[in-house]
Amino acid sequence: MKLSAQMTDLDTFLAYSVALEEEAAERHDELADMMEVHNNPEVAETFRKLARYSRLHAREIRDRSQGAELPKIAPWDFGWETMEGPETADIGDMNYLMNTAQALHVAMGNEQRAHDFYSAISTESPDPEVRAVAAEFADEEQEHLALLEQWLSRVPQEGNETVFDPDPPNMPE
Amino acid sequence: MDKTTPTQAPTPRDYKSDIKPIWCPGCGDVAVLNAITKALAFLEMPREQAALITGIGCSSRIAAYTSLYGFHGLHGRALALAAGLKAARQDLTVLVAGGDGDGLSIGGNHFIHACRRNMDLTYVLMDNEVYGMTKGQASPTTAADWTHGKLTPGGSGIRPLPPASLALTAGATFIARGFTGDPNGLARILVEAIQHPGFAFVQALSPCPTFRPEQMEWKRHVRGFEPEATSDPLEAARRIQADDGMSTGIIYRSDYPAFRPGGGDGAAAGSLESMESELRI
Repeated sequence: MKLSAQMTDLDTFLAYSVALEEEAAERHDELADMMEVHNNPEVAETFRKLARYSRLHAREIRDRSQGAELPKIAPWDFGWETMEGPETADIGDMNYLMNTAQALHVAMGNEQRAHDFYSAISTESPDPEVRAVAAEFADEEQEHLALLEQWLSRVPQEGNETVFDPDPPNMPE
Repeated sequence: MDKTTPTQAPTPRDYKSDIKPIWCPGCGDVAVLNAITKALAFLEMPREQAALITGIGCSSRIAAYTSLYGFHGLHGRALALAAGLKAARQDLTVLVAGGDGDGLSIGGNHFIHACRRNMDLTYVLMDNEVYGMTKGQASPTTAADWTHGKLTPGGSGIRPLPPASLALTAGATFIARGFTGDPNGLARILVEAIQHPGFAFVQALSPCPTFRPEQMEWKRHVRGFEPEATSDPLEAARRIQADDGMSTGIIYRSDYPAFRPGGGDGAAAGSLESMESELRI
């Protein structure tokens, strides 16, 4: 059975939503940390901002649960249809030389997967309340995508060409 | 270390330190850190009740990135240090981590005897099939025909050491393989490894984006063992030999009793009093 069809009650759905956002925030912070230590402050700041947005969204979802005890789900029991939560950036896509535009493209991919996750639940959950809240979250993710597109339009579009590093880590000594 | 254990359920972040990892963006070792912290949070492990012992290498820096007690020891000697710690403090949960060079070359002898001794340790071998910290030399798990190492431009010509086979032959009682592209799956394996009362060996396939960029394709080849976990060593050997090294999950689990120095009553085997009593003529 598809994950979206297993969302049979609001508390379970909110537990998934909080985990999705918190895992994304944690990954963005990790990426910001790595970019900082690899002297890429601009991209580090981008990921740091994305982490703040994800945390804000997680807090909003928690507030929405109005103190209800959300079910505790083990990380491996979520059964995400991707290896990690749909909004979590794939570490394997990262490079210390990436630019802000590339980081934003990664973030847009994450938001798109989160949108698709909520959108599927908004049509496939058997519970009408879950469907309604999921539709709302899908709209929010769509708004995030639009904001990222605006942000992307304001940064230099260096494309995918390789940035020159005069002292790359894999240079033989 | 802040020894205060939070009153509410801990989160993975509670097990991370404030030190920022210097691993390359894209490195699988980040996911091992995540898997360990997720496993500890799931187990609600009090931080002061666990220790992480490591050797030398990129991956061995992991001890500094957790909020557990840690010891970043000598190259290849993490298991020896951990065995000593466990002997002295049997109440502690002792995790050990390191890379394929640290664990199978410099520390190869310690690995064999740690398996054989079967003390209650959890050993995570972060395997990227290369020495990364020293800029990309062939390690014990590197394929014989890998030609990108500067010391072995024609390939090492030496067959790689199969870690799971070695662990089984040497007597490890829990053998598993995880993949850093699936940190949640790796966390599940680690929970079971930590709970296993004996030597638990977990090989974590951990791509190196800098010296082995082709490993970023591993995510397309990794799959699960079907079915998981046998207690039959012959069946485990068959599975390991029949596999290309890309299957993940718990391979083997046995209930052979763990070695507990001093009788296993939880007393500190290394206390002055117990040592004096053993040496008394």
